[in-house]
Amino acid sequence: MSTTAWITTLQFAGVNALFALSVYASLWTGVLSLAPIFFGAVGAFTFGYLSAALGLPPFLGLVLGVVIGAGLGVLTAGIVIRLSSHYLAMATIAMVLIGRVLIINLPDYTGGAAGTLVPGELGTWLWLIGCLAIAGFVLSRLAGSRFGFAADAVREDPAVAQTLGISTRHIQLVGFILSGAFAGAAGVMQASFLQYIGPDTFYTHLGFVTLAAVVLGGAFHWAGPIVGALVFTILPELLRDVMGDYDRVVTGVLLVAIIIYMPRGLVDLRRFRLFRHRSRGEAPPGASASRDSANQEVVS
Amino acid sequence: MTSASPEASGSVTPAVEIAGLTKRFGGLTAVSDIDIEVAERRIHGILGPNGAGKTTVLNMISGFIAPDDGSISVFGHEVTRIPPHRIARHGVARTYQNIRLFAGMTVLETVVAGAYLRRSSTIGGTLLLSPGERRERRRVREQAHSILEQVGVRSAHDELAETLSYGDQRRVEIARALATDPKVLLLDEPTAGMNDAESHEIGQLLLELRESGLTLILIEHNMRLVEGFCESVSVMNSGVMLAQGTPGWCLEQDDVREAYFGKRSDAARIATLRRARRGSGGS
Repeated sequence: MSTTAWITTLQFAGVNALFALSVYASLWTGVLSLAPIFFGAVGAFTFGYLSAALGLPPFLGLVLGVVIGAGLGVLTAGIVIRLSSHYLAMATIAMVLIGRVLIINLPDYTGGAAGTLVPGELGTWLWLIGCLAIAGFVLSRLAGSRFGFAADAVREDPAVAQTLGISTRHIQLVGFILSGAFAGAAGVMQASFLQYIGPDTFYTHLGFVTLAAVVLGGAFHWAGPIVGALVFTILPELLRDVMGDYDRVVTGVLLVAIIIYMPRGLVDLRRFRLFRHRSRGEAPPGASASRDSANQEVVS
Repeated sequence: MTSASPEASGSVTPAVEIAGLTKRFGGLTAVSDIDIEVAERRIHGILGPNGAGKTTVLNMISGFIAPDDGSISVFGHEVTRIPPHRIARHGVARTYQNIRLFAGMTVLETVVAGAYLRRSSTIGGTLLLSPGERRERRRVREQAHSILEQVGVRSAHDELAETLSYGDQRRVEIARALATDPKVLLLDEPTAGMNDAESHEIGQLLLELRESGLTLILIEHNMRLVEGFCESVSVMNSGVMLAQGTPGWCLEQDDVREAYFGKRSDAARIATLRRARRGSGGS
């Protein structure tokens, strides 16, 4: 790959990582939600419209994207949180589909089917790495906190979590707010890098890539989605040089292999702990999900 | 004036008061008009053969399922139809018959996760690196270590909880429940799968916990444990209360013996029932 191609790929990887962290934030509380794609779309198109109409400074646009995303997170949570797991997931997929319909049918604000141009001042490494660093900081701080343990408990067993005094609705609402904030930022960043957004920018393809990144990287530690997004964005580009159009076959097979042999993803503390347990000289009772190939092998 | 004692009204408020509790699943009445009263700092056993409705009673106390009729109050607070997390805030904690630990968590993390109600830090404080939040993390970890010592978990605290021995997993569950700082602890077969020595240790733990002010309600099949450590028991069969009182007295009652060991005429009756069902239901 040429240097320019590398840079573009890495930028996509970074934005995908931000979206993946957004999916992770609600998955952490036991909610599978593709709503981040919708939140990102709303953030991006609002950013595009306001910068063109009012000359909104880009930084304010980013802040606004975060605020709008978080606000939409609250609204979405209010509507969908009462649904049980797979119905909830379907409702959020419906949001992604509705988002595209809205974009096409509001041409005055979104440019309709033709899309719209967006200023690219935020499309730099500094902003991208800054956003990722803040998201990573937020999630890593929360990981050992009161909220973090409650989120883990709700994900693993919501009924038991409730008998520990944890309100699952409350925890999932916070998950949606975090998810919305990250997705709003991701949407603005995506728009800034592309400098053009249309009805297909935030659609099922992005949703699939994001979800695959979380599954591949691991949904049980905040570093998982970042690793997953990097691998799942960069690997197809590398393979395309070698194998042409067959790159998708390889990434598909890789994804299936990881789901089978590392069901908890590349970054998995549990696997590490099982490994340590065994190396202490005792056989664990349920050592089925434990292939301990090092993460770095796949990453590099 | 500082102690707002419940005795002020003259009668002592029981820790748990269950009145007329009824639960039907379709045509089956799993629990029928059950009354149980457990005084504070008491170890109370619920006995009965499989399918007697013991776990259903426990599930209703902790709010997992809503009763069709009747009421439950904890220290005078009506908790009958409120969600489980609010019942937990009234000081009710529990363990499970089929162990339900959190996958992927270490022993220590499991107990720290249980300490949600002991913590008060906010997300804002966490993100702003407040010293109070850091102190809280340290305090909760120390408390978790000492609870684990108290319940007698022998494995290392950084082990994955799900890799522990059966007995230790039960102890971790008890520790997680204790981490909520409860006033009432519900234990669903705490000694299942344990040998006599281990069971006896659990019995000693129950006494210790009662000394520290807890009220304990346990479902138990181990009669030696029940007779040795429970001060009162309720015996249930097919959702109905058979007897309540001291363990020794209860286990001598005719219908209790019958529930546990059956009687000769039952065999004939079951055979008749089976034939009748086959006749009406068969194609």
